[in-house]
Amino acid sequence: MSSAGAALFSMAGCERIEKMFLLGPQPGPVVPPSGKGIDLISHALNRLSFGPDPSEYARVKEMGESEKEAVAAYVDEQLDPDSIDDKRATRAVRRFEAIHAPLAEMYEYKEEFLLEQMTRATLVGATRSKRQLFEMMVHFWSDHFNIDASKEECRWLKAADDREVIRKHALGNFLEMVRASALSPAMLWYLDGRENRKWNEDEKPNENYARELLELHTLGVDGGYSQKDVMEVARCLSGWTVRGLERMLKKGKVSFDSEAHDDGVKVVLGHEIAAGGGKTDLDAVLEIVCGHPSTAQHLAQKLCVRFIDDDPSQDAVEATAKAFSESGGDIKTTLRALFSTKAFLEGSRGSKLKRPFEFIISALRGSRAEVRSELNLIDYLVRMGHAPFQYPTPDGYSDVASPWSGTLLWRWHFAIALARNEIDKRIKVNEADLIEKAGGVAGLSASLLGRVPTEEESASITRSGEALALLLASPGFQWR
Amino acid sequence: MAMKGTGIVSGNGDEQRTLVVVFLRGGADGLTLAPPVGDQVYHDLRSNIAVSEGEVLKLGAANCGLHPAMSGLHDVFKDGGLSVIPAVGSEDKTRSHFYAQDLMEHGGSVAGGWLGRFLRYREGRQPTALSAVALGKKMPEVLRGAPAATVMESMDTFSLGKKGVSTAKFKAELAGLYGAETSLLGPAARDTLQALDRVAELAKTSYSPEHGAEYSDDSFSNGLRQAAQLVRARVGLEAVSLDLNGWDSHFAQETLIAPMITRLSEGLSTFYQDLGPLMRKVTVVVMTEFGRRVAENSSFGTDHGSGGLMMVMGGKERGLVGTMPKLDAGTLIGPGDVPVVTDYRSILIPELKMHGVRETVGEIFPGFVQEK
Repeated sequence: MSSAGAALFSMAGCERIEKMFLLGPQPGPVVPPSGKGIDLISHALNRLSFGPDPSEYARVKEMGESEKEAVAAYVDEQLDPDSIDDKRATRAVRRFEAIHAPLAEMYEYKEEFLLEQMTRATLVGATRSKRQLFEMMVHFWSDHFNIDASKEECRWLKAADDREVIRKHALGNFLEMVRASALSPAMLWYLDGRENRKWNEDEKPNENYARELLELHTLGVDGGYSQKDVMEVARCLSGWTVRGLERMLKKGKVSFDSEAHDDGVKVVLGHEIAAGGGKTDLDAVLEIVCGHPSTAQHLAQKLCVRFIDDDPSQDAVEATAKAFSESGGDIKTTLRALFSTKAFLEGSRGSKLKRPFEFIISALRGSRAEVRSELNLIDYLVRMGHAPFQYPTPDGYSDVASPWSGTLLWRWHFAIALARNEIDKRIKVNEADLIEKAGGVAGLSASLLGRVPTEEESASITRSGEALALLLASPGFQWR
Repeated sequence: MAMKGTGIVSGNGDEQRTLVVVFLRGGADGLTLAPPVGDQVYHDLRSNIAVSEGEVLKLGAANCGLHPAMSGLHDVFKDGGLSVIPAVGSEDKTRSHFYAQDLMEHGGSVAGGWLGRFLRYREGRQPTALSAVALGKKMPEVLRGAPAATVMESMDTFSLGKKGVSTAKFKAELAGLYGAETSLLGPAARDTLQALDRVAELAKTSYSPEHGAEYSDDSFSNGLRQAAQLVRARVGLEAVSLDLNGWDSHFAQETLIAPMITRLSEGLSTFYQDLGPLMRKVTVVVMTEFGRRVAENSSFGTDHGSGGLMMVMGGKERGLVGTMPKLDAGTLIGPGDVPVVTDYRSILIPELKMHGVRETVGEIFPGFVQEK
């Protein structure tokens, strides 16, 4: 074979592999929702996933005799991600090799490249993974333990944090997750934990991480801790540090320097931590703060805001907090309790505004877009102020509607560009095929809105002559 | 829709202030842009490249002036529209372009850019799609983390759909559907539709500068021209970022930067002239990551230094700020750099306050304590 022929052959091979693993959403039969309002199945798909693929509604409906049974089975499935065959998505993400490299090797890469790879992997995971609830929780924890990858050496280290803290523990145990976060090289940079040392009597500990640990990661701002508690927690954590860029070897390695640790007696939230604890002070602190009732309350509130409503019912928060406490911070148990609350099952539907990331992903999923390059998607996210790993302060992107009200222009812009195949050559949708598979425009509308369109919507869609673009841009599609 | 309209697209209509940040990348030489007056050390250390005192454009009785190619900005100064601040800089010790730019754009060793945080923390309504634009090809660090920011290459950036394919029906249907929306998206959609109409209007008509202003045809002036157009169109523009690159003058400095100085001065003074009375609502901040070493090097250039130049134009009555330090051995720092007399943040803070920041300055520059 000539070398040109070989090149051609291998290119064709590549294309084929790409088609097999990266593209081709798995088409099943499309049986759109037929309710006037959003039924329980569509509701669960809206909340547990980044919006359904057109065939997903029928798949879940088949999972039980009634809507309730079907949703219970879907929750079970999603809470057991290992049981879901997700090879295609896993392979699609694995091609971003840089972000899977060992820590010290991360420093070999250009920081812009790492950020781009991380962001693309996040978009691919959210769009393609069948473990949708897992990806949704990754999305949640990325905000909860927010790290802006533009700060200092987080540029190189955030990818490891995403891997070893967020993804590793997304459906695991909360205390384990906080522990991994406390010792994450990126977090030690982001909240200055690496600067928290006490070499001598006069040195004051750096409180930055200790404060955010209490205020944001665990108890919450009204969780009942004092300034004194912040200082005591900082003392407990003094001595943990991370090797930086300037070191020849083991860049990014986390270590405990007992010389820089304040080894006296501390009192945290009324619990005494004996002198001489050294590095075990960290575990003592985590036991105290993670087991505190305010932490259960704070996490339950945030989870309910994510999955139920901007202003969730306090009954639901209580039930979720109880499950969190009683299970010792088991995230699956906590979520299962949340998904069984009356507020989740019977409360308002379509009441959460999709944040820009959720809007983009749900549009890609709902329109079965073939995405070969995510770069232009990132541009849209930047324009709407919602690019992953780019929120500057430790509190993470807001999870309620009002801060996102100024993003309509880019949502419409995206809707029309996606439906008209104008984003770029590497992102494609086939509107005619979508309509055919859904059994007509009404079917496509129901599949995207999670309900039968209203008369006004139907008339508008018909008049516009661009069903997909208008549906994606319409108010109905902005809510989940 | 008529351009004047009554609609307040965002912000507060006529009261909307716009902050334009011009970054001179590469470390612009403050001692050439605003040469010292009456300091023999400057001429001793720069025997080949000093700007001769006879040529310097004087700023009243100040001990620094402007480079002779800056006649445009000199006129703006005489009009009370320009502040010149010598010996400004950051805490940077690395003299690395990359590091020092990041530090100054982030506003310290923090995440995200200060202009981005300004948009998050300033008082008033949520920013919209048109609140912040970066004129150029990529998002600068200074806008990183903004609640909304767009890299804009032309007015068409904002238009829905590709040029030539109508979106009239699409917009009409959206207006209908969102008109019935009782949530916060209802009013947001009305604002957005108005903004789209205005932008479409702008993309269609060629912009005619006013007051006899004529922009040069270079990318810097083109950017300023677009900024002026957006300001005039009252689309709610609050923050603009614009770069002028190529100030790293290690070699044959005068040849390299004289044309840049002309471009800078002509661009900014044309913008000032064009906007005329509107400049009361527009503030332009010019900054660079660091200044350059006082002593020239053997190739008639200068190397990375410390204290540099900032300029602020418009927004209010302006004049001289600070003085050029004496360049004798006792004052110079490190390898012979102009000291940093004024921190860039203490220049920015009053400007940000004028643009709607109240109690939240600390959020924009965390950890920065303003010198008294």
